[in-house]
Amino acid sequence: MSNESDSGVGSLQRSGFVVRKERLYGRLIAASAGLTILVTVGIILALSGRALSFWSQISPIAFFTGTNWSPVIANSYGVLPLISGTLIVTIFSALIALPIGLAAAIYLSEYASDTARSILKPALEILAGVPTVIYGYMALVYVTPLIDGFLPISVQLVPAGVPILPEFTLVMPSLGTFNALSASVVVGIMIIPMVSSISEDALSAVPDSLRQGGYGLGSTKFDVSTRIVVPSATSGIVASYVLAISRAIGETMAVTMAMGMSPQMPYFPNVLRNLAESSQTITAAMVQIAGADSYGSGPTYEAMFALGMTLFAITLIMNVLAELVRRRFREEY
Amino acid sequence: MATEDSTGDQLGRSAALRLQQLKGQLFEVALVAATLVGIVSLLVLFAYISVDAFRPGTASPAWFLVYLGTLVAPTAAFTLYARRRPAVRTANAVAFAAVFGGLLLSAVTYAVVDALSPYDVFIYGVFASLPPMLVLAYDRTTEGQAYTGPLILVSILVGIGVAAVVDGPISGPLGIAAEWIMYFGLVTVPAALLVGTLTASRRGRRTGAVAGGAVAAGGLAVAGASIATGANASLLVVLFSAFVVPTGYVVRRSVRTNPAGRVGLAGPFVLLGGALLGAALVERFGIETPDTFLTPTLVLESWDGLTASNAGVYPQIVGSIIIVGFMAVLAFPVGIGAAIYLEEYAPNSGFRGRLATLLEVNISNLAGVPSVVYGLLGLALFRRTLGFGTGIVVSASGTLGLLILPIVIVSTQEALRSVPDDLRQGSYGMGASRWQTLREVVLPEAIPGTLTGTILALARAIGETAPLVIIAVATTTYSPPSGLFSSATALPLQIFAASANAKPEFRHGVVPAAAVVLLTLMLLMNATAIVIRNKYGRET
Repeated sequence: MSNESDSGVGSLQRSGFVVRKERLYGRLIAASAGLTILVTVGIILALSGRALSFWSQISPIAFFTGTNWSPVIANSYGVLPLISGTLIVTIFSALIALPIGLAAAIYLSEYASDTARSILKPALEILAGVPTVIYGYMALVYVTPLIDGFLPISVQLVPAGVPILPEFTLVMPSLGTFNALSASVVVGIMIIPMVSSISEDALSAVPDSLRQGGYGLGSTKFDVSTRIVVPSATSGIVASYVLAISRAIGETMAVTMAMGMSPQMPYFPNVLRNLAESSQTITAAMVQIAGADSYGSGPTYEAMFALGMTLFAITLIMNVLAELVRRRFREEY
Repeated sequence: MATEDSTGDQLGRSAALRLQQLKGQLFEVALVAATLVGIVSLLVLFAYISVDAFRPGTASPAWFLVYLGTLVAPTAAFTLYARRRPAVRTANAVAFAAVFGGLLLSAVTYAVVDALSPYDVFIYGVFASLPPMLVLAYDRTTEGQAYTGPLILVSILVGIGVAAVVDGPISGPLGIAAEWIMYFGLVTVPAALLVGTLTASRRGRRTGAVAGGAVAAGGLAVAGASIATGANASLLVVLFSAFVVPTGYVVRRSVRTNPAGRVGLAGPFVLLGGALLGAALVERFGIETPDTFLTPTLVLESWDGLTASNAGVYPQIVGSIIIVGFMAVLAFPVGIGAAIYLEEYAPNSGFRGRLATLLEVNISNLAGVPSVVYGLLGLALFRRTLGFGTGIVVSASGTLGLLILPIVIVSTQEALRSVPDDLRQGSYGMGASRWQTLREVVLPEAIPGTLTGTILALARAIGETAPLVIIAVATTTYSPPSGLFSSATALPLQIFAASANAKPEFRHGVVPAAAVVLLTLMLLMNATAIVIRNKYGRET
């Protein structure tokens, strides 16, 4: 652009041209930003069209309260077994990932040296970067036999001799080929970085003056970390939890491969049995429908969009929630 | 603790202190354990996969000894030697990047062009690259105002459109020409132009022309020699232009600019030479090799669901690369444009400011939408609305492109945000316009960050499976996609489909081997991104 710095008249003439040209560029990139709105609109339109057509055939009440998901054999579309499957994986993977992720975040933010952090942070990110299909394969082929070696374990809640139904003793039976436990373990591993990185951002954002104040009062590092830094960053930590749970709900390949395709209502009261047996999540049901071309465009095919709509609504609510919580914590300092 | 100090109960106080200390130490140990547990369990699982794929147990100890002597020990010794000397280390890193980058580039170029038919790629390449060059030449000759930037874009699009029309009539007569000529035009000519311009910018026009001419002549010589000996002329031409030429150029440059580190250039050749020497020794003494599943068959043949030793994933690898490559073409310009708008153009207040906030919230929500839902979007958009065929490359690339769009936007935004404002103000102060500042100052500064983010997005996309299953991309095909509108296939899909095969040689053999291939691709991308981040990283 060396020719721009000509005489005054030339640059004056050029300025109108430059303005027009710049306006064109500005519009182009504004259009690409606007495209992201179109993506959201597209998702909503794509899902709602077929989902509504599905719900006009199968009443939403029957869909959301039915306890039997058997689209092909019984022509029955109750989504509760799928929600139960999703919940089982979500809860148990959260039990693994939330404490571990928070502990990792505290370590990285408060304790780790710069060298340790520069190695551990990318290493943790890799956990989220491994393709989920590989996680599913590892769960199916390696994690299940590994855990199964320790099973069954029976926990005697009630002293022996008391006459009680066998269901009321907590027993962890041997694992089936497809089981929720191995799926939960790998999903738990894969969402650790989600918790740790967002929580660490929140912990690092706590101003140093708070820590110094704590030390000044004679607190140990343990006290400062657990009683000052973590409580100050609560909202960021909560946001990370919500996002991680939302990710676990939407996880597809690992649960499809490791947990199987048999929708189940949860077992009570021996909840551990849920872990040992196969069930099906919302996402796995969608993959199953998509994988079988024979469903054409009948209600089963449209049920896939109804499931997608349900999933989209759940994750959208959780993401908005996390964003709101995070907003609050940003404003604090 | 103030009260305890005054009582002077030293014993009790120290016991309490010791308890405090112990608690702190235990806490720290627990934190370290928690940080490591995920990483370690993943490493253990990777070890299971690699052992199943590679089967080191089936090799004789002599095999390990041979490779320890020829490959591992020399490479390790050389790396240790290079680590201590910064100049050598730099040269070593550059040589590694040139050699293995060149090898990878040649392999990918040859495989992709071969799959898409060299004649078609040549026609499209010519029609898409000549018009913008003409526009540039016109811009050079005329002083003054022209919409050169937009014109280049338009001319590329028009060129591709024209190519689509004339492809049918031209490709017939063009088919008379040998295949290697197409590769020569596609790879050697750009390489010669690149070497020519790079040399010309440093050492004058005449030397540049000579260097470019030498590359072209070398390409012709390689083609002639390989035709004479009956070798695959196309592959050799690609290897020459995308591997030998860049390696030679880098080695020469490095010798000139970094004479102290000259020894470091031997690094990759120590590795390659060691591998070749080891192979020769194993062959010569008839040493028992491991009965591994990581064989050339795996990466060069197509799938065989019955015999594990014949099963390969070549079509899937090429399919994944084509899908992800075309996805990058679709998604990156849009993503980077959107990020530039949000960071550099969007106002902070007023109606448009609120619009920008809405866009930001929307993007962070899109990032959290499960990948299956993008699959449904792709299904509805490409198959129902646009009426494309089932599971073709364009649909797969488009779906994955929509999926990674938020990732690209967010990482580019971060890269732009880390460019200090002083630079922008300085540029404005010099009288530059907003677009000039962006193009000449901000974007060059933000390139490493953007590159890191986009490579990570590619790594994410190459492992993505669920959306491809939803849009019904075929799993097992016996040839790679032959065009953008032919049916696609992808490596993760093959792993998903084959995981149902319970035969031990599949479950504990070929499938882990395919997983190793996928993991290698993904980890290579991640490593590249991390290297770029560490090298050019800017502390914010």
